[in-house]
Amino acid sequence: MFDHFVGWLGNELVAASSSLLDKSKRVSLWYLLSALLFAWGVLAIRYGHDGWSRLQPYLSWRVWWHRSARTDYLLWFANRLALAVLIPKTLTQAVWISWLYFYWQEAGIGDAQLGWPTSIVIVVFTLCYFFVDDFSRFFVHWCMHKSPWLWAFHQVHHSAKVLTPFTVFRTHPVEGLLFFLRSMTSQSLVISVFLVVFPNQVSLWQIYGVLVTTFLFNALGANLRHSGVALSYGQRIEKWFISPAQHQVHHSNLNQHYDRNFGVALAIWDRMFGSWEPGHDNQMIRFGTNQAIDNMGMLGQWCQPFKDIYELFQARLKRVRIWLVSLQKKTPHTMALWKAPQTGKSVLKQDK
Amino acid sequence: MKKTIVSVLVAFSASAMAQTYDYDVTLKDYQGDAKSSVSYGGQIARHALHNSLKKIISDGDHVEMLKYLSSKEAGRAIIDPVSKDGFEIKQTSIDELSKGKDLLSSAYDGVITGWPGNPTAQELLQELVELASNSKKGYDPVNGYDYTQLVSKFTMGAVFYNKAVNHYLEEKLEAGQSPNDAPYVEGAYYTGTEHVWDEAFGYFGAPANGLELTPKEVVQITKQNPEYFTKADANGDGVVDLKSEMAFAHAYYAASIDASAGTNYFHTIMQAFIDGRQLIANAKGERLTSAQRGELKGYAATIATAWQQVIAEAAFKYAGSVYEDLEKIAVIEDAQGNVNNAFRSYVKHWGELKGFALSLEAAGRDLGNAQAGLDRLIGFSPVLFGGAQVVALDGKGDFIQANVGSMQEYKLNMIKVQNLLAQEFDLKAKLEDQTGGMSEVLNQINAAGQSAEND
Repeated sequence: MFDHFVGWLGNELVAASSSLLDKSKRVSLWYLLSALLFAWGVLAIRYGHDGWSRLQPYLSWRVWWHRSARTDYLLWFANRLALAVLIPKTLTQAVWISWLYFYWQEAGIGDAQLGWPTSIVIVVFTLCYFFVDDFSRFFVHWCMHKSPWLWAFHQVHHSAKVLTPFTVFRTHPVEGLLFFLRSMTSQSLVISVFLVVFPNQVSLWQIYGVLVTTFLFNALGANLRHSGVALSYGQRIEKWFISPAQHQVHHSNLNQHYDRNFGVALAIWDRMFGSWEPGHDNQMIRFGTNQAIDNMGMLGQWCQPFKDIYELFQARLKRVRIWLVSLQKKTPHTMALWKAPQTGKSVLKQDK
Repeated sequence: MKKTIVSVLVAFSASAMAQTYDYDVTLKDYQGDAKSSVSYGGQIARHALHNSLKKIISDGDHVEMLKYLSSKEAGRAIIDPVSKDGFEIKQTSIDELSKGKDLLSSAYDGVITGWPGNPTAQELLQELVELASNSKKGYDPVNGYDYTQLVSKFTMGAVFYNKAVNHYLEEKLEAGQSPNDAPYVEGAYYTGTEHVWDEAFGYFGAPANGLELTPKEVVQITKQNPEYFTKADANGDGVVDLKSEMAFAHAYYAASIDASAGTNYFHTIMQAFIDGRQLIANAKGERLTSAQRGELKGYAATIATAWQQVIAEAAFKYAGSVYEDLEKIAVIEDAQGNVNNAFRSYVKHWGELKGFALSLEAAGRDLGNAQAGLDRLIGFSPVLFGGAQVVALDGKGDFIQANVGSMQEYKLNMIKVQNLLAQEFDLKAKLEDQTGGMSEVLNQINAAGQSAEND
């Protein structure tokens, strides 16, 4: 039993570490390096020799070994173990897609017979896949900020006081579970519809076995989003694509930056939802939530959200009680009829 | 000119490379007259028993069926394949191939979870034959069983695939088993390792010159198409020798899949058998070194993987046929037509699907979750009119049916079966695909949720 546990633990840790060489993962060494080269190239063009000095936050060991960064690393491994248990094993994408594919057909949707060449279908499918996936990421992220119940978990990500590419793993396991459901739902929807409408033509456009949009996003500096390197694309481009500087604004601890730039790759969703904010190469931003959680270690990051949820629940309960009291004052006769079943006393009186 | 020279060279090298499964005697100190060390008459006898059993199931004679399933008696005629105009078969009795052979004693003795009551494969074969004898020409419309298909497809897995992959190409290749520096049995003209490999090849059922034949030619040889007689009669003696010139069982299915889909299962398996046998021949009667044994096991692994894929490909195809049958039934029902023929076809295809799916679990190979998935999705019977399906056996051994959902909902199970087979066994041909190519896309998508990545 113990041997099995140690074996499982070892396998999971090795699998997590393998992300460093996996081209489908943002933190692979290839993308960490390409982000550096991309930023160096852009900043060198803009600022000449000074461009290099602007990369210091990406290269400083003080940042990479900051207490906040070390918490990121611990959460990366710990979450992987937690999610191995939390994620439902039987609710796979294959099951969802099969069911939806069957459902669409039973609903009368069938082969569109448009006669499109497979290459066109692949391009259209890849673009739709990218758009739906990017919007679903934006929307779930937006909900994470707007709902206090979800924010309780999402604050873990925002509690980072320094940003490194590994801050991408600074997530609460409950949020990880929501990401899993989001990804499964959005992908299943797009894939199942395309399979029905374009049977035997559907395939993702890939580079080195990675979705072309993911590859470009990662190769062109996705890792800079979670870094101290302020790199703006300029307002013209930032209206369409979220720059590293824009995402850093999202992580800012300033009130005026709250709930800005929820997008991942595309900026259009933020413009539609009125949360778009431009970035700037010279922006000076401090990261964090200004709450106690900013200074907590891994266990604190795991537990604090549940404490906050409990307090939120208590506060909501209190509000309900106050509302019921006010209702009783307005209609005393009706409320008097509402008795607790065992004691026969009014629940409201008990509370007092 | 250059092109001509190149094409001649390619053709020449191809013919030089192509080999027939025939090897000289290498056993040291052998004094007899035998020139070839190849011998797998017992396996061909079992192929003839299987083919014959399939033919007589529809007659409903239980005693006759048992003669070909479990008896070892002398004097049994070959009922299939037999000579026909333009396609003469050399042998007419089982004894001419090998004496004292039966199917049942070579069947897998492990549990088959995909049939009610968890019988062993041997018990299940006996049960199916008995049920067939009580049915109307091998057809049971009440429970939705086509015993001809169930018995045939399952026998191929439980006997041929099991003995070759689970026994000869695995247990018998271990060090100390059937050594190459001693006769297989006293007085034999072949070594232990040679015979172990030959028996596995015999169970595959390919003609000895299979590498020289196209998949289409192999298929037509099994069908005894007179137009392909000269291809079948490799030695030109005017008759087809079942021992070396006929294609049986999974060799036929491998070639059939390749001929339809352009895949390469038949030649992959055939080449690995040839390469492995050549390695043994090259050892010249000496005990194999551990390096040679390792290489031989590599060929065995290639064979086992591709063979398993062939069976899974066949199951995949028939899952697609079942799906199509259900669609036809729905159309006929809507038009208030007669569904008898469509239902008969549905039951036949389900029998083929089930027989191949059960075969996958009849060779002691760990299928993990796939086995449970196939058992549950396919069920113990097809879903019948009114949504009934066989779910268990009662105390007397009779089938119990229960309502499980509509026939049309069962189509979703067929989609899931195809996905499961395609992904689990890395299928290439995927004939009768009803998923719109879903497994390709599923393979492209990385498993979500492995790490909790934020945005």
